[in-house]
Amino acid sequence: MTFPSGTLLAQSALSGVFIGSLYGLLGLGVGLAWGLLHVINLAHFAFAFLAAYLCYQLASVGGMDPLLTLALIVPLFAALGAALQWVLERFDVSPLNSLLATFGIAAIIEAGIQWEWTADFRKLESVYAGRTFKVGVLFVPLPELLTLLLSLILAFGIWAAMRYTNLGRALRALAEDAPIAAAFGINRRAHALVLAGVCGALAGIAGVCLALTYTLTPSQIYAWVGVVFAAVMLGGLGSALGPLTGGIVIGVSEAVTMAFVSPSWAPIVSFSLLIGLLLLKPERS
Amino acid sequence: MFHWIVLATSWNILSGYSGYFSFGHGAFFGAGVYTTAVLAGSYGMPFLWTLPVAAIVAAALGAGLGAVAFRVRNVRGELFALLTLAVTFVLATIVLNTPIDGGPGVYLSAVAVPVLAPSESGSFYMMALLLAVGTLVVAYAIPKSRLGLGLYAIHDDEDAAEVMGVPTYRYKLIAFAISCARAGVAGGIQSLFVSYVTAGSTFNITVPLTVILMSVLGGTRHWAGPALGATAITLLLYASTAADQAMMGKAATGAILVAAVLFMPNGILGVRRRGISAQPAVPLPSGAVPHAERVEASDETRDGARDAMRSVPPDAVPAAARTATARRAGETLLSVRGLHKSFKGVRALDGVDLDVREGEILGVLGPNGSGKSTLINVVSGHYRADAGSLRFAGGELAGLPAHRIARAGIARTYQIPRPFPKLPVRDNVALTAMFGAAALDRADANAAADRCLEFAGLGGQGQLRPGELTLHQTKFLELARALAARPRLMMLDEVLSGLTPTEIDGAVELIRGIRDQGTTIMFVEHVMRAITALSDRIVVLDQGRVLAQGEASEVMARRDVAVAYLGAAHA
Amino acid sequence: MLELRDLRVEYGAAPALWGVSLAIPERKLVCIVGPNGAGKTTLINAIAGLHRAKSGRIVMDGTDMTSLPSHRYCSAGIAIVPEGRRLFTRMSVRENLEVGSYTRAARKDRDRSLDYICTLFPAVRDKLDSVAGSLSGGQQQMVAIGRALMARPRLLLLDEPSLGLSPLIVQAMFGAIREVNAAGTAVLLVEQNVANALEIADFAYLLEEGRIVAEGAPNVLFNNPELRRAYLGIVPGH
Repeated sequence: MTFPSGTLLAQSALSGVFIGSLYGLLGLGVGLAWGLLHVINLAHFAFAFLAAYLCYQLASVGGMDPLLTLALIVPLFAALGAALQWVLERFDVSPLNSLLATFGIAAIIEAGIQWEWTADFRKLESVYAGRTFKVGVLFVPLPELLTLLLSLILAFGIWAAMRYTNLGRALRALAEDAPIAAAFGINRRAHALVLAGVCGALAGIAGVCLALTYTLTPSQIYAWVGVVFAAVMLGGLGSALGPLTGGIVIGVSEAVTMAFVSPSWAPIVSFSLLIGLLLLKPERS
Repeated sequence: MFHWIVLATSWNILSGYSGYFSFGHGAFFGAGVYTTAVLAGSYGMPFLWTLPVAAIVAAALGAGLGAVAFRVRNVRGELFALLTLAVTFVLATIVLNTPIDGGPGVYLSAVAVPVLAPSESGSFYMMALLLAVGTLVVAYAIPKSRLGLGLYAIHDDEDAAEVMGVPTYRYKLIAFAISCARAGVAGGIQSLFVSYVTAGSTFNITVPLTVILMSVLGGTRHWAGPALGATAITLLLYASTAADQAMMGKAATGAILVAAVLFMPNGILGVRRRGISAQPAVPLPSGAVPHAERVEASDETRDGARDAMRSVPPDAVPAAARTATARRAGETLLSVRGLHKSFKGVRALDGVDLDVREGEILGVLGPNGSGKSTLINVVSGHYRADAGSLRFAGGELAGLPAHRIARAGIARTYQIPRPFPKLPVRDNVALTAMFGAAALDRADANAAADRCLEFAGLGGQGQLRPGELTLHQTKFLELARALAARPRLMMLDEVLSGLTPTEIDGAVELIRGIRDQGTTIMFVEHVMRAITALSDRIVVLDQGRVLAQGEASEVMARRDVAVAYLGAAHA
Repeated sequence: MLELRDLRVEYGAAPALWGVSLAIPERKLVCIVGPNGAGKTTLINAIAGLHRAKSGRIVMDGTDMTSLPSHRYCSAGIAIVPEGRRLFTRMSVRENLEVGSYTRAARKDRDRSLDYICTLFPAVRDKLDSVAGSLSGGQQQMVAIGRALMARPRLLLLDEPSLGLSPLIVQAMFGAIREVNAAGTAVLLVEQNVANALEIADFAYLLEEGRIVAEGAPNVLFNNPELRRAYLGIVPGH
């Protein structure tokens, strides 16, 4: 192993922070649904990719500003998320079966994407792409920076909402003891739909970030599953800030491994972390 | 297709039977793929010789993982699934970056295909067929065996299974190893079939997900379910192999999965089976008899437990227990000394000393939170005592795992009945006959189960699922289950709560009948009428200590007992 | 104000009720005693809307509540202090209390209610920002009562508020309950500490094996041989 230079170390740590923020953004929705609704939602990833493709379509064909597409994508995916929750609730699906059912939904969406946009690689060429700042010796690409900012804003926003609004407190109370929360007038079903809508919207926003920073192909949907689950477990289920923290820890450790050992060794870091965590502190979730 | 049948069925041996969903089947499959690939492709080992090695490598990997994972109590359900998934990726990374693969993949084109049929493809067909048949035979045999019944019980309620005497840890490991070995062999054959293996195509999430999909679709409780699901899905995929149909196939598979989960969470065979068992369930109150030879039993069911008692066949009496009673009646059977147990700083048991004498009925009383249920939970091994000794029939129980305690001759019922919901009533009872102190084989256990069910007034209900019983019947099922273990000591935790006054009378008769057969009984109860009617002696617990013991009417007349119950002010 | 008519509840293995009728008048403190397993908790949970009735009626202010979903009971003026407290242990004390005043009507008076609770239980004021799970048993019980009072109930349901608490704290707890009642809130108290409970009650019922077997003024009921028979299985003097 060559002796790492300080600049290289800093640059790879920075890129780790960037990718980690996307892990965290995806993990935020997954973790909230898992921790508070007891739904393990694989379809979340498919929703995100669907949103990414929609953003690509609206921006590169329709000529919209990619960030403006959020105005369409957020309400659409909020509705999708709520609809999914309605169906799962209607059939009283157990957490494990929710995993299977949402995997089925993911497969359908994947096929739909492939049908509409083919399996070819798509890259959104937007006004943001390719713009980079130089801060000191480090390069900062604009799309990644946007992702990081969005992740931070959303994670802290949701953290604050969970703490300081009636809705957030009601959701936390429901997650801990639903019958007692109901005895104090909290309507569980209505709140679950709202939260699922928020998770759907988060998937949509994560999708736009994906479109901004990554080359898209339908089969990539599953590439994110393992890492994002690791980030969620690391950060704690149902936590607002946890997935982002977990995502950034994983992102940085991966990026540093990539830079100094070999790119192909990178996955072992996050998954070893996950295994260790599962075996040593299973009670956290 | 046979390839998928093997994978789906072998996955089901662990995950379907025991309920531990593994997402790591790709890892064990992959371990087989690479074992064969490296041994045959790089070292020139004859192909057929590599298959047992592949099985051993995969089984060792599974057992190793299981040995660690199953020790951690909370790694169940989703966490176990995630853990196995993570193992897949770690293994893939290791394989990719070490000389096992090295990145470009391994070729097996130079390896001779064993001649089992005229053509090469015929040979593959034969191998896959043999393996599929072999795997199905194993999958078929397991549910009929002790292992299978134990696994089903683990699936339904692992803690209760352990308390009934099932060595849960060992059984899970065995199932994991069998399952992995099969997947390893399948991987070995697959590696020669594709003749070029890469880490990316071997260790991915499609293998486990397809396998799970197949099993869930077919029904995980049935040995043939996964094979059926595998057949259905491979046919579906073959039907849409043309390029533009591949997407449709994928979408259809997804849609089938969603529909399967929503509309038949028990799989195709699960739906069919429910249809069968539902029939005798309808005329339940009149004591339906699914089999003609049980006509007598139906009369007893109708007339309740009191009549059932009179016609108990003499061999329902645990003979061993009866002679033991005659020999040692009145001697101390269980001796509890200085028992402590705290939960998060709250002292549930704070130095309990008590003796249970051979052949007696001992009532355990006390206000809420006095530690009665904790006492039963500690003696049965559900919780481990913080300090103190539990001597039972000359041996020390403290620190033993629960299944050893059950074997030693202690059985219990739960306050909230915990039958294994997916096992028929008769298997629920046969389970304790096999794993409890009686340690019968399957056939004897079934016979014993039928006798115990009749004794409890449940004759003829053996084929139902516990969910189809009324609460009153479920409570009696708990009693029958404890009885079938032929315990020397039976601990009853509030068996009467939730019953109507007439049902309580029946239960009191039943409990007395159990004691008359020679079983010592310790019971926790609040219904005073039953306590005075049943107990030879009572012990009153208060705040985790023994407050008083002795004959019921004497103890209950004591002033300190009245204070404990009614409060200080006027008493 | 609240009336139960021949209420039957069967809830899994929880002790069942086989036709219970009782009435709780406005502003009164009614107490239900009975041995463990008699169905006291089942009864109180049914009144709070946590368990569904199999038959019979729960009528509050003349309105039939029986078939309403559980989150509608709170706005009808019923709040529960459940057995074992069941605080939201991962949330702060303040958040627990705020969840208590979730209904629109209660939200308006949130600050006033909070003030009242801190006066009633001064110990709670210092703990407002602590995590509820970190509190001692007595403090948790105060928060549980406080949470229910935040809902501004006209009927407060208390299930075994003295369970697991030291005698000194029990005395304080009963003092607070009496104070709440004196301020105009009707109270239904389920208590294993019969003597304490009957001392503060206006009227009492004895529940045994899912049925009301005796009722009356507290001091009369306390000397009723049925009570001792139900609890101790003996009738003094026989």
